[in-house]
Amino acid sequence: MKKLLYSLYKEYKVLVRDKAAMAIMFVMPMALVFLITVIQDTTFKSVNESSVPLLLVDKDHDTLSFQLERALKSTRSFVIEKKDISTEEVRELISNGDYLIGIIIPENSSKRLREKASARISKLFISDDSVGAEPVDTSALHLTLLFDPITKQSFKMSISSAVDGIVSGVEMQSMVSVLNEQLKDLVPGGGSGFQFDSKPLLTTVQEYATKSETTLIPNSVQHNVPAWTMFAMFFICIPLSGNIIREREDGSAFRLLTMPGSYLYVISGKILLYMIVSMLQFLLMLSVGIYLLPLIGLPPLQVGNNYFTLICIALSAGLAATGFGLLVGTIANSQDQAALFGAVFVVMLAALGGVWIPTFVMPEFMKSISALSPLNWGLEAFYGVFLRGVGLAGILPHVLKLLSFFAVCIGGAYYYQVYRRMR
Amino acid sequence: MVEISDVVKHYKNAPRPAVDHLSLAIPKQSVFGLLGPNGAGKTTLISMLCGLFSPSSGKIITNGWDIATEPNKIKQIIGVVPQEIALYPKLTAYENLLFLGHMYGIETEELKKRINENLEILGLIGNKDQQIKNFSGGMKRRINLIAGLLHHPQLLILDEPTVGVDIQSKTAILDYLKRLNSDRGMTIFYTSHHLDEAEDFCTHIAIIDEGKLITKGETKQLIKENNCTTIEEVYLKITGRKFRD
Repeated sequence: MKKLLYSLYKEYKVLVRDKAAMAIMFVMPMALVFLITVIQDTTFKSVNESSVPLLLVDKDHDTLSFQLERALKSTRSFVIEKKDISTEEVRELISNGDYLIGIIIPENSSKRLREKASARISKLFISDDSVGAEPVDTSALHLTLLFDPITKQSFKMSISSAVDGIVSGVEMQSMVSVLNEQLKDLVPGGGSGFQFDSKPLLTTVQEYATKSETTLIPNSVQHNVPAWTMFAMFFICIPLSGNIIREREDGSAFRLLTMPGSYLYVISGKILLYMIVSMLQFLLMLSVGIYLLPLIGLPPLQVGNNYFTLICIALSAGLAATGFGLLVGTIANSQDQAALFGAVFVVMLAALGGVWIPTFVMPEFMKSISALSPLNWGLEAFYGVFLRGVGLAGILPHVLKLLSFFAVCIGGAYYYQVYRRMR
Repeated sequence: MVEISDVVKHYKNAPRPAVDHLSLAIPKQSVFGLLGPNGAGKTTLISMLCGLFSPSSGKIITNGWDIATEPNKIKQIIGVVPQEIALYPKLTAYENLLFLGHMYGIETEELKKRINENLEILGLIGNKDQQIKNFSGGMKRRINLIAGLLHHPQLLILDEPTVGVDIQSKTAILDYLKRLNSDRGMTIFYTSHHLDEAEDFCTHIAIIDEGKLITKGETKQLIKENNCTTIEEVYLKITGRKFRD
């Protein structure tokens, strides 16, 4: 035990005097989480809050346009600007990228909608052989929706569906009001109290499926803080592998291997120290999310109440990262090789794991590849606690995967050291 | 002290064995010099003596223990001074020695006493709190030597301990080693390319080439047997003048 503590103390002294390693482990992840969270905040807001610029050209100035505008506003998905311009001008503004969507409501749309609704309803009550009746055009009216060409097909479809829904509602209301008028005429005594109720019979209720009572909406902070914490933890492979290779190159490893049992203590000391480093990184990054990011107007990180579960995730992620660093340090032949391979590999694992772009926006085949990245296991476990409020049982598969990754890395490093380097 | 019997070490994919049917006896309390050109197999033999890896065939018995089966017992009684400066540059001399001494399981108070004694003898007591990276080559070599001596080994293995140092450091190192050999009876196994140094320092010498033992014996006897005046003459006579690297 004493040997382990002395080894830990030596590693600590070596590390704190290595300014570059300290910067890589503590300053870089803080800077990254700060910058990327601010940059991505707008992207997340576009999913969650009103930010889609919409140009509304109202030539109708009647029920349809009023109701459509009110309904669009109630979705809180658009920044609506109204202009009285021609279709060509609308097309020009949208193609310039000034607006993402343009809606043109033609003149007398409400009036024509009412006439068409009235004609259709009247058809139900008046026989076909009625004479003298003026024929009314009952074909559909057209609203024009213009989209910026950069708009994704899925987004276009969702906007079209939303507008169609709103228009259907307005159309239904017009028809119901005509129907009520007709019914009044048919019922003796004016039909007071004989009203067709147009309120919807079926509505949907939307909420986030979480296991906790509080509902946390995914945002840039909730994504980036755990994501960059995982990245920072795995990036310790650079200083850790460098430390191992330096020891090998300067002959210290040779000396330690000639001491009875000492190299095991030295390796254990390294694992312990870098575990402590990863825990400090974890606490530091959480502090950035909770205290620092709100200072620049971002929402504070919500960590939930499952602190024990969070510690389990952080410990298993720290072990996985340390094991990876140990493996890279054992296999690589030089510090340059370790730094290059380690950095590139961690960046690839991060990209696959959903650190930059959350996995839920990835295509299906990428999602299945993403599930192979240990950074994704850690990230999904953090999401589980932060967003879904799950306990230890819920994140256990991810924790077990991280611990298995650690075991595989340590096994690989041992095999390489004993059967390849020392043969 | 050490019996090396018909030892072969053949690395995987290597065209020939690094050590080829080598047999040697290192007498107790001797200063044994192992000489040979580059690639002769000196470092491989040292690695096997230290228990870093086992021979492909043959036996190495140190103090009655087989290196293949009881490496930890042997590691307790040997001290190793590698050719490289096997120290942590960002730690001070004192921190380096304290760590390495603790790894041998020496109690802290006793360890501090031994460190200070050794630093005093090798003229480094005033520099003990300086980081190794700020030391000269000679100072580093002296600390490197102390690191191998803290646990009072019975057998000290040195791989070119005076390479690249000034004459003052070299003299201090060799004088101290001679004292340890005569006063404490420490057996010293040593490799070097400085043949005049080896001739002056070693009681016994073995010359190996391409993994094979060429000659061995007491230093003076070896010179006499080969009708030479110095070890350098013996060395060139036996190994020839052809480049080996």
